[in-house]
Amino acid sequence: MVPQQFTSHDVTKLIVRVSLKDRAAFDLLYRATSAKLFGVCLRVLSDRAEAEEALQEVFVKVWTKADRFVASELSPISWLVAIARNHAIDRIRARGQRTAAIDEAGELADERPGPEAQAIAEGERERLSACLGELEADRAAAVRGAYLNGDSYAELAERFSVPLNTMRTWLRRSLMKLKECLER
Amino acid sequence: MTPGEDRTPDAGGDDHLAAEYVLGVLPGNEREVLARRIATDAGFARLVEAWEARLSPLNSGYDEIEVPASVKQALDARLFGHGAPATPKSGLLQSLAFWRGLAVASLAAFFIAIAIPLVLPVATTPDTRLVASLAGDKTDVRYLAAYDARSSEIGLSHLAGDRAAGHDFELWIIKGKEPPVSLGVIPAGASVHLAVTPAHRDLIGSGALFAISLEPRGGSPTGKPTGPVVASGDLRAL
Repeated sequence: MVPQQFTSHDVTKLIVRVSLKDRAAFDLLYRATSAKLFGVCLRVLSDRAEAEEALQEVFVKVWTKADRFVASELSPISWLVAIARNHAIDRIRARGQRTAAIDEAGELADERPGPEAQAIAEGERERLSACLGELEADRAAAVRGAYLNGDSYAELAERFSVPLNTMRTWLRRSLMKLKECLER
Repeated sequence: MTPGEDRTPDAGGDDHLAAEYVLGVLPGNEREVLARRIATDAGFARLVEAWEARLSPLNSGYDEIEVPASVKQALDARLFGHGAPATPKSGLLQSLAFWRGLAVASLAAFFIAIAIPLVLPVATTPDTRLVASLAGDKTDVRYLAAYDARSSEIGLSHLAGDRAAGHDFELWIIKGKEPPVSLGVIPAGASVHLAVTPAHRDLIGSGALFAISLEPRGGSPTGKPTGPVVASGDLRAL
């Protein structure tokens, strides 16, 4: 469904036009990116109806906040995914608890080639993957799981059977190691 | 973290918080506080964005999942009300939405002329590519139309709404106050093309209107629209 013909440049142009309240651009942007953003909402919320509702709210934000993209240095799709992730995670925190445990998702590594796997992203992905590889295996898994599923500190602490503060220390250290590795 | 001393890029506490915010692990109340801070504290917002960039390669772990069409319809209703864009025919030129659309189109062209060279290495030639989103108030017919002046072709993506049995959709161009001119019957299919004859090329420009009417099979017998307009939308420069 998501056409390959939309390049990152196309999506940039569409967001700029959406910031000018161009509905045709909004429709195209939806066509180009809704499947990916729905994937984000569904993964975090693991409930179809709620993910559909969240996706609408995400695109309402895109419509009203597109002007902020111009000031951002993120790639257009990263910017959009960030909006979707933040929104879905806020929703799940407001809900208090998840409807279903999707523990196995934590093991879904980033090795799976996503449809947007393109040459530019490939290098960055390999670098992050290599840096995650320098962390202890369970901590790398915690970082990935937290990012992709929107796990909270409390949920991670329970899953890894450690006190919450220990989990917080683990992850903070892991993130800083990751940063240092990426900046090397 | 002490307020006022957290502006340096490596202020440890803030960088930790930014990382945790992006990772998504914090409780809801802490996330709310940080979201407000992002909106007001540019230094902190930069730390957050740096983490978003660092971790964004993980986004490839999200699958693309097809969204039911009802979601877009609900979204459009939520954002734009039940009415679709500029209404065709009746009182078109009096329509505030139409003139507003025109103003937006000009502003868009201006903005793109200024902004795109900053964002993109190669600027596209203005007005060689135009797009229109076609929809109607009383129908669910939706098309996206893109016109490329270089190939003199209109590409049409059929998004929703079927033609009545024994009927065809016909595409019209309306420029200014001139009467609608037929660009031909739209072939059935999800993605179709119409060739534009040289005589019609001058009519197609930013601010002109595409409209689709329901006609007897084979198209209007009179050369003017005979059936209801089921969808319309104005052309914008890409």
